[in-house]
Amino acid sequence: MTALTSVSFKTPQLVARIIRSAIGILVVFWMAVRAYNVLFIDQPYGTDTWVRFAISGLIIGGMYALIAIGYTLVYGILGMINFAHGEVMMIGTFGGYFMLEALEATPAPTPASPDLNFLNAHPLLSILLAFLVGTAVASLTGYFLEKIAYRPLRNAPRLVPLISAIGASIFLQNAVQLLFSPQLRDYTNPDVLARGIGWSINIAGSNVMITYTGVLSFSLSIILMIGLYVLVKKTRIGRAMRAVAQDKKTAALMGVDVNAVISRTFIISGALAGAAGVMWGIHNGLVYYFLGFVPGIKAFTAAVLGGIGNIPGAMVGGLVLGLVESIGPAALGIDFQLKDVIAFLILVLVLIFRPSGILGAASVEEKL
Amino acid sequence: MKRNDSAFKSGLRSGSTFTIIVLFLVLIGFNASGSALLARLFGQAPLSGQLPPVVYGLVFLALLAIWQGASSTIASRHKGFHVPWLSGFSSTGLAGLVLAVFILVFGSLYQGGADFRRTLYALSPAYIKFLSADQSPVNGALINLFVLLIAGGIAGLAVVYLPFGKLWKQVKVTWLRFWNMDANRSLRASRYFKFGVYALLVLFCFFAPRLWGSYWNYVFGLVGIYVLLGLGLNIIVGLSGQLVLGYVAFFAIGAYTVALLNAPVPHNLMWGFWPAVVIGILLAALSGFLIGLPIMRLRGDYLAIVTLGFGEIIRVLLKSDLLTNFTGGPRGIQDIKGPSLFGFSFSSDVDFMYLIILAVALALFIASRLQNSRVGRSWIAIREDETVAQASGVNTTRYKLLALALGAAFAGIGGVLFAARNQFTGPEDHVLMVSINVLSLVIVGGMGSIPGVVLGAFALKGLPEILRELANYRLLAFGALLVVMMIARPQGLWPVGRPSLQRPEPESPPDKPEESNREVTHG
Amino acid sequence: MANCLETVQVSKLFGGLVAVDKVDLQIPERSIYSIIGPNGAGKTTLFNCISGYYTPEHGAVRYFGNEIQGLSTDTIASLGIARTYQNIRLFKEMTAIENVLIGQQPRLRSSWLDAVLHTGRYRAEEQEALDEAHRLLKFVGLGGMGDTLSRNLPYGAQRRLEIARALANHPRLLLLDEPTAGMNPQETEVMKHFIHGLREQLNLTILLIEHDMRVVMGISDRITVLDHGMKIAEGSPSEIQSNPRVIEAYLGSGTEALTEKYRRKKLQ
Repeated sequence: MTALTSVSFKTPQLVARIIRSAIGILVVFWMAVRAYNVLFIDQPYGTDTWVRFAISGLIIGGMYALIAIGYTLVYGILGMINFAHGEVMMIGTFGGYFMLEALEATPAPTPASPDLNFLNAHPLLSILLAFLVGTAVASLTGYFLEKIAYRPLRNAPRLVPLISAIGASIFLQNAVQLLFSPQLRDYTNPDVLARGIGWSINIAGSNVMITYTGVLSFSLSIILMIGLYVLVKKTRIGRAMRAVAQDKKTAALMGVDVNAVISRTFIISGALAGAAGVMWGIHNGLVYYFLGFVPGIKAFTAAVLGGIGNIPGAMVGGLVLGLVESIGPAALGIDFQLKDVIAFLILVLVLIFRPSGILGAASVEEKL
Repeated sequence: MKRNDSAFKSGLRSGSTFTIIVLFLVLIGFNASGSALLARLFGQAPLSGQLPPVVYGLVFLALLAIWQGASSTIASRHKGFHVPWLSGFSSTGLAGLVLAVFILVFGSLYQGGADFRRTLYALSPAYIKFLSADQSPVNGALINLFVLLIAGGIAGLAVVYLPFGKLWKQVKVTWLRFWNMDANRSLRASRYFKFGVYALLVLFCFFAPRLWGSYWNYVFGLVGIYVLLGLGLNIIVGLSGQLVLGYVAFFAIGAYTVALLNAPVPHNLMWGFWPAVVIGILLAALSGFLIGLPIMRLRGDYLAIVTLGFGEIIRVLLKSDLLTNFTGGPRGIQDIKGPSLFGFSFSSDVDFMYLIILAVALALFIASRLQNSRVGRSWIAIREDETVAQASGVNTTRYKLLALALGAAFAGIGGVLFAARNQFTGPEDHVLMVSINVLSLVIVGGMGSIPGVVLGAFALKGLPEILRELANYRLLAFGALLVVMMIARPQGLWPVGRPSLQRPEPESPPDKPEESNREVTHG
Repeated sequence: MANCLETVQVSKLFGGLVAVDKVDLQIPERSIYSIIGPNGAGKTTLFNCISGYYTPEHGAVRYFGNEIQGLSTDTIASLGIARTYQNIRLFKEMTAIENVLIGQQPRLRSSWLDAVLHTGRYRAEEQEALDEAHRLLKFVGLGGMGDTLSRNLPYGAQRRLEIARALANHPRLLLLDEPTAGMNPQETEVMKHFIHGLREQLNLTILLIEHDMRVVMGISDRITVLDHGMKIAEGSPSEIQSNPRVIEAYLGSGTEALTEKYRRKKLQ
């Protein structure tokens, strides 16, 4: 056996690496060229439009981040992708919807306005209640999802819980559709928090609207993200979660109730998704049974982008994805119809070129 | 598990799950559809849009209760409780109680003119009346309570006191004796028998499409196409273990190949059906290979999502206005010209049925040859333990790409046949649901099992025909079925056993190292 | 005699952790060479560097003079290096004979098209492969049990099946990772004779990771001792047994070694 043959053994791997790098460089180059075109040559948009894009991107990015954290938490602790997470978010949206509907139907007359309903009489309280209900319902869904569809399969080969998750996702979608009809519904916000109204800022000669709902969503996202981070890093619950994520058997030996921790993880991730769902409803308006599918995949993209299993990564990934999705099509001169494609493309590209994501993934070492 | 439990309490526990199930079914209107199905079985099918006679609603509930009563009694007996049939009563009784309250409340509200369809849209006034058996709310509630309670309890009693177990055993023994009779066995093994079966099959496949009408040709044609898809995905997922969720993309390639090559709009190439078949298969296989290249390093979950992403990207691109000039855009491609044989048009529904049968036969042949060969074994080794397979000398990259290319090719031919038969294809034919359908039939039939795929395809496409009333609940049942199958029977409905390759050992002379080993093996 | 395998200053790092630290090995052809050391010393990691599962950060692995570090595991397998695993890794859902058939992969040449068409070449190859598989099963004492699912086999039989699968490759270098783990003394003795017999009958080089000193001292030509990733001793069995550094770090559970230790203590 000569050195020559040993070189030829290495060639296929080398070729693969060269092809990958070449494609990567080509893609980046193409994007740079188009962006340059749009930003400096054609300039179809003014600064105000870019600001608008950025704002809407941040708002939706916050929602993606919350859902992405859910994916990352479950992946970190069970090593599986919770395919049904998007449906958990959708159920949260529905929960908030029905609460608001109920509040709207509750009369709360005052001498000044005899036709007033509870929703408009106490708008902030109503929103709070909507969030509580949405979050609670989503948490419950997450809890039962784990208990019924994932727990019996904890020691099964990888494919099996994955398929169960797909089945659960389909089941939840259709259960909601059958219970509540496929009809598209509209969130009834309190009048003071109606969609589309907010503060107007003058940027580059145009009025840019910063909506109240947007501010509410974004600030709540940030608060929840901070809260979760503190929970995981500083509290006993968080410590237990991290222990179980690293090594289930040892954690059990140390007295940690693994099942309880896992349930708690699903409850927390469900709660975050539910909150995101209610935000989605308040800010975007539409509620229907298929709502969770696309945001679910995008949030998963965000989680992978930031590094799956990495909580700050999920937060960063969500915000980045929101921004890219919002600014990207315009910056690259692509049709807006293809907005969803961007998220999928990012997913594919990240998984191929940098599967560990921006901030680095939690490693799942295979023991040989 | 408390050990000082009684059957009654354990019944209550399982009854709570049953109650939730019953309530859920009521809220989604399943009672109406299930009862309609029952009614049709007894020849009293309701007119479309109308509810069947109320007695069927009660029969439906009774059937549910019988199932629950029997299973909870069996479970109680297993756990050694005294008076196990009490759990039958308690579990269905609980459900009956809750259902009764439900009917009482809603019946009264609806009597007073309420209508909750804005929220729970299955609860039409007619439906509520149906639930309360056309009686006053109180009477309706009580009837439901008693039906559930009595049916469940009697089922429990029957399980305990009637010799079902013995009967079933008897049946099994008799059947096995019959099946293993020497005459029976030698008949099955004889060449003439096999020849006869094949001959019958061929005759059936020739005459049946001509005789049973275009409706069944359509349905079974669809089943055949799904068998093709299932066989292809079976190679990718079932054998080599790569969870590909964007399988519909390959189907789309086949469909759009024949469409773009044979329709006046947008390209008017008219290259003919048969060239399109070849090109479609090749293109699909090539795309399988190309898609495989970047994803080789990805693990199961990531692989699933990435392929899902690919499939969605393709669908969005097909649907967008951007590529309308090339792909026909959101409206799809119409007037696809069908095949012709020796100058004669070969595109009637009977002709297509023949084509599909031929394709399926070929696919079954190729798939089973592959599966039972070294290639199939390598795929299974990759699925079982990719790292060790590679360390044992299996070029995993090559085999995984081969699986993808071959699996995609199967989808390609399926797509070609599908589009040519419908004479139309569009983005709506290539949605994610198709991928999930095919995945379901592979999983439910049994991963890596060819008869399982055929069974799955018939179940997937044939059952909805028989269970027409339950069409709305198809997807719901899917999802539930996937979860249940993974928990209860992950190997599928018709799992494949391993082939028997061992030759009978000739008497070997005692040989030092082996013999001492052999002594130790008896452990 | 040429060296079958050489590792030259091989180091494997995991982040900050040095699992294997500049290890040199020279393994002569047709020898039985053992690597011993306490748990976590880096023995299996070293195996993984040789078999191609890991690529060492530093150093080279030379197989009959050719550098093989960085090659994929299937390429290395096709060069004639086969291995077994610490926790048995058989293809659980396949029968015993199928496991052995997989092991023959590097030597089989027919393509998928041959398989579909059942060409003459395919049929001949399959027949030969089956014959070889039967022969190997009989050789390891599993004759007649080919159709048993590998997960249904008793533990000792599973270990032997793994060896049969490795041997199916017709390897020139066989890596055995704790082949007697979990065996009782009688089974261990049988396995020890079996491994020894392998070298005689099949002319191969055997690299062994073992904890059981009876096996190690009984059949090894040379031994290397690892501790914390570093080589701390190397030599013949008697040299290792009396090496104070080894005795200090670790000296297994073999009765002779223990007796020797006490005897020496008593003499002091």
